[in-house]
Amino acid sequence: MARTSRGANHVAAVEAVRDTVYRACLLLDDERWSDWLDLCDAEFYYKITAYSPEIRRDVLYLDGDREQVAQMCELLPKHNTDHSPLKRHAVVYTVDVGDDDGSAKAVTSFVIYQNMLDGVNSHIDAGANHLFAVGRYLDDFAIEDNAARFVSREVRLETRRLDKGTHWPL
Amino acid sequence: MARNAKQWNTPPDPNRIEWADSRIYSDTEIFEEELEKIWKKVWIPVCHESELPEPYDFRTVSIAREPVIVCRDADDRIRAFLNVCPHRANLIERRPSGSFKDGTPSGNPRNMTCMFHAWQFDMKGRCVHISRGEEGYQDRLSPKDVGLRRLRCEVAFGGMVWVTLDDHIEHSVREWVGSALDCILDPIEAEPLEIFHYHKAIIPSNYKLWHDTNSEFYHDFVHYHNRVTGFNDAYFARKNMTFDNGHVVVGSFEVRYDQYEGFESREALSFPTLPPNNWYMIDIFPGINYNLRGSALRVDLMTPLSADEVMIEFRGLGLKKDTEEERLTRIRHHNTIWGPMGRNLHEDLLSITGQGVTMRPGTEPRRILHGRHENETIHDEIGMRHYYDEWSRWMGRPLHNPTNRPAMAAE
Ligand code: FES
Ligand SMILES: [Fe+2]
Repeated sequence: MARTSRGANHVAAVEAVRDTVYRACLLLDDERWSDWLDLCDAEFYYKITAYSPEIRRDVLYLDGDREQVAQMCELLPKHNTDHSPLKRHAVVYTVDVGDDDGSAKAVTSFVIYQNMLDGVNSHIDAGANHLFAVGRYLDDFAIEDNAARFVSREVRLETRRLDKGTHWPL
Repeated sequence: MARNAKQWNTPPDPNRIEWADSRIYSDTEIFEEELEKIWKKVWIPVCHESELPEPYDFRTVSIAREPVIVCRDADDRIRAFLNVCPHRANLIERRPSGSFKDGTPSGNPRNMTCMFHAWQFDMKGRCVHISRGEEGYQDRLSPKDVGLRRLRCEVAFGGMVWVTLDDHIEHSVREWVGSALDCILDPIEAEPLEIFHYHKAIIPSNYKLWHDTNSEFYHDFVHYHNRVTGFNDAYFARKNMTFDNGHVVVGSFEVRYDQYEGFESREALSFPTLPPNNWYMIDIFPGINYNLRGSALRVDLMTPLSADEVMIEFRGLGLKKDTEEERLTRIRHHNTIWGPMGRNLHEDLLSITGQGVTMRPGTEPRRILHGRHENETIHDEIGMRHYYDEWSRWMGRPLHNPTNRPAMAAE
């Protein structure tokens, strides 16, 4: 396969990308926003998008650079937010490493479950899981010293009925 | 002091504090009656004209459980019909939107076709084909007998497509809305608008609780964003005005968006003629909301699903002539507050979800206070009181004992 013929650096780059994607999932699951942003480049750009067949257009639900996302997360304690944790199940489907082994693109398929805490009536709902969103992470990376940093992430949602919504990055 | 059951259940003196019996939000019989008496009798802005920009484009929706299709004819005219086949009542079109320009597996281009037995209809709702018609119906039934059910449809107020199930409705859309939208008429009608945002939410709560939220700003205590960008003298002087037919307008003031860390003024992209960073909110009876914040227009439509479930569709609109860059800025302004991850929308939806829990069908009747009087300004609940006066008229039910029919009949 072409992939192995490209040598050890290439294999290491693929591994580094996978490692970064999965680490990011755990950090996001644990609401460790600034640790997640530490995996991101200074130039990081984040967006949540979908295609709406209702209006037959791409829609942008949220976007921001690293600083804007960090600011949004820092302000979360001042906002009223659903307390139910969001937990990701993700699989990195493809990793395409650039020719110089210094950059890569990855496609990761995910589902996000809401582990109900508030639910509607927490007495009844707490503890249940509810499928919150389905989509893909379309990520770009910079690779240096066997480590991959996010340069951009598009959270491409299939789910468009998000009901109560959320304040959290997905 | 906490109260015992008797104290808790003793209603306040309505001459001192206005209140409503929570069964207006929870009673299933009242809900069914609302669909018949209100929702089937009013104008509903089901979509925006830019959702069906080309001839033969269509959009499907529903009003009070009745499936509706809106389509654009070759002459550019938008028409609405029940999305119900006159043969055996299959749904004619299943997709949320699309075009009839190309054929479908059972039908010809430029017609809508019921796939079941391939009856076909044109964009004027005429039946143009009955499969093996003569063989089956001889001269007993012909295409002219089985046209679609046409619905009254008008494009108005920023290009929204308004439809009603009531053929005999007394008012045009403009007459019905009256002057409630005058405050934003120039901004939304100076230029053609275009949709850039759509999402929807289904919330386990009564639809009127969402409308209540939109018709008072006292709930800005739930919004950190609105407290830091509002809460000044001009904010508290903002008037809450009532209009004929149950509509309410919350007057404008200058929002200081830059007071929220990381947010920016919307001055550069104000809607035409709208003073910079101004914000009007208009609630149209029984469940429609226009919300213009400087650079982006939001239009909400509620579709009540049951006494304790409502679907809310959120639309974001900009100017059709926007450059790509301008559009992106408007979208960002819209999203930061109103998107599904926006600062305010999530908080609003959490609030009515909580009310939905305490007012589930079968819960104890409660007194819901509508009694803030604050000089008809922003935290005054005059908007809600005005809405429920109208609601009572349409329903023939009082707010204090809404399920007590014999008492009313005896009057
Ligand atoms: S039900 Fe539509 S063609 Fe038969
Ligand atoms: Fe709000």
